[in-house]
Amino acid sequence: MTAAPQSHAHDSDSSFRPPLTARLHDWVTTVDHKRIGLMYVIMSLLFLVVGGIEAMLIRFQLWTANNTLVSADTFNQLFTMHGTTMIFFVVMPMIAGFANYLVPLMIGCRDVAFPRLNALGFWLSLFGGCILYLSYFTGKGLYGGGAAPDVGWFAYAPLTSPAYARGGSVDYWILGTMVSGIGGITFAVNLIATIVTMRAPGMRLGQVPLFVWMMLIDAWLILFAFPPLTAAQVMLLMDRHLGAHFFDTQAGGSAVLWQHLFWFFGHPEVYIMALPAFGIISEVVPVFSRKVIFGYTSMAMATAAIGFISMGVWAHHMFTVGMSDALDAIFSAASFLIAVPTGIKIFNWTATLYGGRLRLKTPMLFALGFLTMFLIGGLTGIMLAAVPVDWQVSDSYFLVAHFHYVLFGGSLFALMAGFYYWFPKATGRMLGEELGRLHFWLLFVGFNVLFGPMHVSGVLGMPRRVYTYQPGQGWEVWNQLSTIGGVIMGIGFLCFFGNVMHSLFRGKSAGSDPWDAWTLEWATTSPPAVYNFEVVPEVRSRRPLWDLKHPEDPDWKHE
Amino acid sequence: MQSPDNIATGNSHRERLKMPRPTAWPMVLAAGVALIATGIATSLAVSAAGLAVFGIALAGWLSELRPGRGEVEVPWVPVARRAQPVAVSQRAVAAPREGLPGHRVYFPEHVHPYSSGVVGGLVGGVAMAAVALAYGMFSGRGVWYPINMLSAVILTRYNAENVQAIEQFDLTSLLVATALHLVISLLVGLFYGILLPTLPTGAMRIAPVIWGGIIAPLLWSSVLYGFMEVINPVMSQHVAWPWFIASQFAYGIVAGWYVATTEQVPVTQTEGGRSVTGTREEADPDV
Repeated sequence: MTAAPQSHAHDSDSSFRPPLTARLHDWVTTVDHKRIGLMYVIMSLLFLVVGGIEAMLIRFQLWTANNTLVSADTFNQLFTMHGTTMIFFVVMPMIAGFANYLVPLMIGCRDVAFPRLNALGFWLSLFGGCILYLSYFTGKGLYGGGAAPDVGWFAYAPLTSPAYARGGSVDYWILGTMVSGIGGITFAVNLIATIVTMRAPGMRLGQVPLFVWMMLIDAWLILFAFPPLTAAQVMLLMDRHLGAHFFDTQAGGSAVLWQHLFWFFGHPEVYIMALPAFGIISEVVPVFSRKVIFGYTSMAMATAAIGFISMGVWAHHMFTVGMSDALDAIFSAASFLIAVPTGIKIFNWTATLYGGRLRLKTPMLFALGFLTMFLIGGLTGIMLAAVPVDWQVSDSYFLVAHFHYVLFGGSLFALMAGFYYWFPKATGRMLGEELGRLHFWLLFVGFNVLFGPMHVSGVLGMPRRVYTYQPGQGWEVWNQLSTIGGVIMGIGFLCFFGNVMHSLFRGKSAGSDPWDAWTLEWATTSPPAVYNFEVVPEVRSRRPLWDLKHPEDPDWKHE
Repeated sequence: MQSPDNIATGNSHRERLKMPRPTAWPMVLAAGVALIATGIATSLAVSAAGLAVFGIALAGWLSELRPGRGEVEVPWVPVARRAQPVAVSQRAVAAPREGLPGHRVYFPEHVHPYSSGVVGGLVGGVAMAAVALAYGMFSGRGVWYPINMLSAVILTRYNAENVQAIEQFDLTSLLVATALHLVISLLVGLFYGILLPTLPTGAMRIAPVIWGGIIAPLLWSSVLYGFMEVINPVMSQHVAWPWFIASQFAYGIVAGWYVATTEQVPVTQTEGGRSVTGTREEADPDV
């Protein structure tokens, strides 16, 4: 065993600043869960910018009928890259970043169970994204030259077969998402092992913060959902390069098999992205309502129920394929059923707000934004679970509106709440409140102006993924509203990035516990030392800091 | 004896921790995997290079697992930069209302039992079905007509059919419609049981019946009127709206009345490590 590396050895001298190369070396070789978490978040933000630019190009193209800003081929690449980027390289890394940074702190341990595996997971995710975008430079599309994948984010067969996807651009989609998916699996294994085996003394599984509960179920979902996708991707590669016919209908294969395998991953993936959001909201709402979370046990049980049911609803993405009435009915009923545990959560968050002393700081604003937007997304989800409705609006802009209300209005609003809530812990500085509020309102208004009208354009019959449309169908005004909303949201994100950069260098000092919160991460310094806690804390209740702040009325007497 | 490092930080020699040693091998291994993958899309030479990188990284990683190689000793940060002990809060904790067991109280303090919601929902469902079946008989279309239309929320077989097909008995439609009706009636009843005690009542004893029997059916009938074409196109084309709305009110009034007339029970609060039922005045005075 040797002494600590240079960066740690110089902790005693705050004026010492290692050269840039040494600092970069420290980041590249780190196995510290907090630094890996931050790298995940930075990676996510970088890809968010790229995916956001792609989205804006899509919106500008649809501003008016018969627009020629981008070609049809470019448009196909844009929506494919936008969807793939946002799901695999924005939301997933952001979730992994939050979990990496927070879970060990919340359960009172010094690092994750497998620190090197953790680093491997991050680098696989990052390199997966690099492979995907390498396609712009080396992927040969139908017309040769650099070409990004253009088959949509779910890459349906037979569009991905060599006959329809000439060149290598589809391979980049397969390989990029597959490599990052393997990274996701390592992340999940690590997280489960950490939560199960490394909790602070006295902390029972029934006492971990709800964010940790949600991440535990989330990690299991990743373990169940990603391997089938990886297997399907290997099969697709064999179809494309080794002459196999798994998805080649004309040679005895089945194109629908790809849909089953993809959505067996794809629908749990929706909850993989939603559960961490639920966890963040379950931390933010009680702290800013100054109340105990309502129904801790029912929240944890509802999470497990969502995890279980979400594995059995995948074919509701396939109602228009032409399955039997019986299958339609079963998957429709299961999809309705998932509204019950989700409703329990909405009810519990609302009950936590009820009678609380609300503090409408930026994290809470985003949490309230999440509650309302996710509710709308959930309600249109119930509508889509009805087969006849799905038949009418499937693959229309109504569907686009629905899943953006779930994934953006849901997951991303919650992730923003978490970002504002835990930024002080990670950096030692507060994010600016005024810019934060401006960011929220621009995002909230922009989001609704962008995605609200899509419900209407969808019901009016506008299909998703069309690169242009004919005039006189009543679609222009809704598309123009959507584009204006996109611009407003873009300005909101500029406020966000400006706020982050300003606060990193000039933000108000945060102290250890700026929100007067109750979970263990607030018991250590901001940012925490490399080992998290000098002494691993002993835990007796779900709110260990409450117990310390209120020894006259500790929680452990009531649990 | 204190090391120079410990003297600088003010740490005692015990204030050091073993932490995982930083290493580049995970990044190199990931790069190997990425190169192997990229080679499939570009050139097998790239995959071969990736395989070599992968092998080297794996060997390097395994070497980290030898005893004493994978950890470093990290000194605690200086005392001045450590977390301060969590201070006892000087702020008083507000009690939401006099007579309630502390700030952990669950609201509302009194609720209808779940059973009232379940039974109320089912009884309301019977009333609703009675109105719908009465419509079928009085209109001359038969009792299967409203049942088949309800099943069209899930079943697609009626989309292209004419009215005569909707009037015929169909076992699948009967099962689907019955299951749908039972589940929705039950869930809405439960919802009533939970929601009604939280709604303002003023001095009116019949306020819950007004909320549950008139206002709620009015709201959802309006929503259904607006969305029926999307939710259930078959019903949208063939529904008799006066009867449909009447059936909604039948459900709301009967279920709302049943739930509102059942006696409310105090919720179970926790205090002092034990369950306490009701408010402090109602609870065991020793608590």
